[in-house]
Amino acid sequence: MASARRVAVTGLGVVNPFGGDLADFFGRMLRGESAIRLYTREDDVLRPLSVPAVRCASFDADAALGRSLAYTMDRYSQLGTAAALSAWRDAGLPQTREAPRNDWGVSWGTALGGTLTFESGYVEMLRNGRERVPPLSVVLGMSNAAASHISIQLGLGASSATYSVACASSAVAIGEALPKIRSGEATLMVAGGSEAPLSYGVVRAWEAMRILALGDEASAVRACRPFSSDRQGLVLGEGAGAMILEDWDHAVRRGARIYAEFAGCGSTSDHDHLVRPNVDGQTRAIRMAIQDAGLVPEEIDYVNAHGTATREGDPIEIAAIRAVFGSRSAEVAVSATKSMHAHMLGATGVIEAIITVLSLASQEAPPTAYLDDPDRECTGVRHITGGSLRSSLRAALSNSFAFGGSNTVLAFRAAH
Amino acid sequence: MNGAIKQNNLTVLSEFLRKRENIDPVRVTPEASLEALKVDSLLLLELLFEFEDRLGVKIPQDIPRPKTVGDLLEIVDKVTAGHV
Repeated sequence: MASARRVAVTGLGVVNPFGGDLADFFGRMLRGESAIRLYTREDDVLRPLSVPAVRCASFDADAALGRSLAYTMDRYSQLGTAAALSAWRDAGLPQTREAPRNDWGVSWGTALGGTLTFESGYVEMLRNGRERVPPLSVVLGMSNAAASHISIQLGLGASSATYSVACASSAVAIGEALPKIRSGEATLMVAGGSEAPLSYGVVRAWEAMRILALGDEASAVRACRPFSSDRQGLVLGEGAGAMILEDWDHAVRRGARIYAEFAGCGSTSDHDHLVRPNVDGQTRAIRMAIQDAGLVPEEIDYVNAHGTATREGDPIEIAAIRAVFGSRSAEVAVSATKSMHAHMLGATGVIEAIITVLSLASQEAPPTAYLDDPDRECTGVRHITGGSLRSSLRAALSNSFAFGGSNTVLAFRAAH
Repeated sequence: MNGAIKQNNLTVLSEFLRKRENIDPVRVTPEASLEALKVDSLLLLELLFEFEDRLGVKIPQDIPRPKTVGDLLEIVDKVTAGHV
């Protein structure tokens, strides 16, 4: 049996709340800059919404995609396709289609798919008294729409699959692309995810779980404080990210810039509880990713934590990290960037994976913003606080732990 | 069906295609092929929906698929006149 192929990360793209490009986004992460603001939505019938959240307010779908294409998409597909096109350009891939790309595919993640489209349909029928919904509602709302649009726009003829694994959706999508390239089934995969979760009903649903962080105009920016003693919950956000994952030799032959090696993935299930996380399940996923990457724990220098800032979740993740790294835990740099970009649900895994890859590429990792007073239950690791960490980063992990007990950890190795 | 109403329906169609696909209204003639005007199966659904909304009619599901602008307008005319 031929040895497995290595996988290179050769392109990155984001649609992010700051509205700038990838370098601008990562620069703001390194500076500990939060994009969280108070999101308010007035309504003449329903109770107004007012929660800290992250929105890609300056995203112009018509400009990014063209009006005709944008019209046929739910916002989550607009964000996702724009991110994928951005990653494609970043990878220096051809804009024209000289040859069939039947061994290039898409692996996408979304937790909620076209929830805005469906909510709009309900509003039209149940509140505004219309008897029907627009005829594109099905194709806008379906959860594989983003992947399909990406496949169509880029002419990708290999597998086009969508994974819906709550908060781990895009991490799973990235992970599932790995064996396709390793085995030779695919030469290149566009992997990532997108989410547009700020519908009225979705925000209310998260509110009802009593785990949304509260805040006002002044305090919203620091509403999400993972690992902090005074953390109060998570913040919802919208956004998208995409990675170009490529057979290493193919990338080298075409002279592509390689950001990092996508070295391994570990996926486990807690098989325990729908929402209560589990140290054992997370520990097994971290160990599996390290082993799959052909690494040892001593080579991991940075962990981009799932770190949602819930009371229950954060200490369990730190316990899992400590279980894996043992006496070396205090040397392992950890940050939770949701403190800045918030929890983009199905898109959060890829956004954090991109930050992890850029950290390896630049040898500089971002902090957890507003972590002034770590919870005693969240100590024992090297929290990055107050500013970025410049250090030798050989390999890094990106953790994603979903409701339902699905854990996925991605392992990346510095390219140099 | 009188000519004014037919012309009005043609205007509805050309205006829709101008807004959605940036198609020059002068190209939207009765002889024009819908395919050439980028009217695929999804866009046709939207057009039928638009006519139903504007005219307050119900276009049956089993209509023959129109090939030209004229075909589509004829269907709309017949439905409006109660002949379908």
